[in-house]
Amino acid sequence: MTEATTEATATRNAVISIEELSLDYGKVNVLHSLSLTIPRGKITVLAGANGCGKSTLLRAIRRLHKPSGGRIFLEELNIHGLGEKALARKIGLLAQSPSAPEDMTVQELVRLGRYPHQTLLQPWSAGDTEAIEQAMAGTGVGDLRDRRLGSLSGGQLQRAWIAMVLAQETDIICLDEPVNHLDLAHQLECLELVHRLKEQFGRTVVLVLHDLNLAARYGDTLVFLRGGKIVATGAPADLVTEELVADVFGVQARIITDPVHGRPLCIPLRLSERQSS
Amino acid sequence: MRPIAIPTSSRPAISLTIALWVTLTMVILASIALGYRQYWPSAIWRAIFAFDGSESAVVITTLRIPRALLAPLVGAALGVAGVLTQTLARNRIASPDTLGINAGAALAVVASSVWFGVGSIAGMSVAAISGALATSLLVFGVAASSGGFSPIRIVLVGVTVGGLGYSIVQIILTTNEAQLKELLFWLTGSFADRPISFAIGGAPVVLVGLMVAWMLAQPLDALQADDTTAANLGVPLAVVRWSGFLTVSLLTGASVCMAGPVGFVGFVVPHVARRFVGLGHRRLIITSALIGAIYATTADVLARFIIYPAEAPVGAITSTVGGTVLLILLKRRVA
Repeated sequence: MTEATTEATATRNAVISIEELSLDYGKVNVLHSLSLTIPRGKITVLAGANGCGKSTLLRAIRRLHKPSGGRIFLEELNIHGLGEKALARKIGLLAQSPSAPEDMTVQELVRLGRYPHQTLLQPWSAGDTEAIEQAMAGTGVGDLRDRRLGSLSGGQLQRAWIAMVLAQETDIICLDEPVNHLDLAHQLECLELVHRLKEQFGRTVVLVLHDLNLAARYGDTLVFLRGGKIVATGAPADLVTEELVADVFGVQARIITDPVHGRPLCIPLRLSERQSS
Repeated sequence: MRPIAIPTSSRPAISLTIALWVTLTMVILASIALGYRQYWPSAIWRAIFAFDGSESAVVITTLRIPRALLAPLVGAALGVAGVLTQTLARNRIASPDTLGINAGAALAVVASSVWFGVGSIAGMSVAAISGALATSLLVFGVAASSGGFSPIRIVLVGVTVGGLGYSIVQIILTTNEAQLKELLFWLTGSFADRPISFAIGGAPVVLVGLMVAWMLAQPLDALQADDTTAANLGVPLAVVRWSGFLTVSLLTGASVCMAGPVGFVGFVVPHVARRFVGLGHRRLIITSALIGAIYATTADVLARFIIYPAEAPVGAITSTVGGTVLLILLKRRVA
């Protein structure tokens, strides 16, 4: 595999291209002139230490933050030229800790995903019904449709929220730390579901994860960020190396190959003196 | 194959709406017929369609009919204002009362009448609506400032601002004894002794408010979720919030102007309506308008009998019921 061919393929299949994106919160510069392409139909994982800007980048892709410089293209379109609902039909984002009334039912929540497809004069169509049925079936919350959100377990609740984003029928789905607050079994269940979003529903997924091993296992492409800049981009096998892990996460680690999935597996040893590069 | 439940299942919705309309018609007729003196439907019919100047005809047309129109208008306005406030504040104990919006509208009316001699309905409406708008902006502004917009905080701010508003009203009133008695009765909330021009003048404002509220139904549905989720769905947050505040102010201001601050209608009605139709705003708004109208009109009829032959202010009744419901909800931690 030569690097040149991989890169050329990536550009052709890019669904999102980010060009020299900079973003400030007040006076604090969070993202510095960052460029990235996100491949179509793959899972791209943004990873890095706390405060590296990965969530901000994800939210900027969904235009929830206004950049101070640079551009983001969705296929050929600059996302800053799209209308609110038009963009909401292209890119969906699930926040890190979303909230809705406890007495809302699962079905009422999933219905919210249809908002960008509705107009005042056509509040609900057969297509909307089909979309929410598919979303609920695909995430396994069909039997929970009349349950109130307050009565669900953490894993069920997360599936209901993913069903809402799925019902939005966007080509691109952004998920911000979707397995936070979930126990091991539900982390696995949630990420298998994310995998199905790609395989079964053909969506492009952009994921923020801080667990490096989960990132390596589920990501097709990893993007390592540090201090608002991209340190490296590539396939997990190329990226999860002892040098890069020390550089990005500040941890000395042994990297082995996961004997089951063939993905790199990181065994953290101790804190490392972070090298400035 | 299992039949797919269409979420906007229209049949139960339509039969509920019809049942509510029938109930509303009945309580409006009861409101015309029942009171210090009772009138048969035949007397009501004659008073409206064959006015003969008799005492009963005069009472029916000048006293009973105006309040039988005013009560449902105010009830519908406050019920829907309650739905909007609860969704905008993401808080089930928010309402025009608990957020001090009623008090702000009342203060504006009292101040403009005592200090500037405003007496016309148009003038009072403008004062009440501006007072309501200023208060809701103040409450939401203070609640959102200095870190995070929390549901508890907004009610704390609202109760404080409301208390402040009523205190200022009392100060103004104690220094203006001439208008004290008239304004005091108005301040407890009442549909009695209002000329029909109040209902005729208020109706278009209330109808506009209800229509705008209904047009906001879809973005309001999405706004029940957190801001990020709503923005992700394509909801223009600022536009929806501003239109929401304006609509709440229009509805609350109009109702305060027509009847004084009728307490806790806007608080109780959305809770009852949600039990019937769930959280979707298209149906919730229509149902809350109807239930609000029924509730206010029924309370107004009860007000005539609770201390018969004297008449209780309707605001005292709605506040008693509303306060009790609030306590129950707080105990059950539903709110």
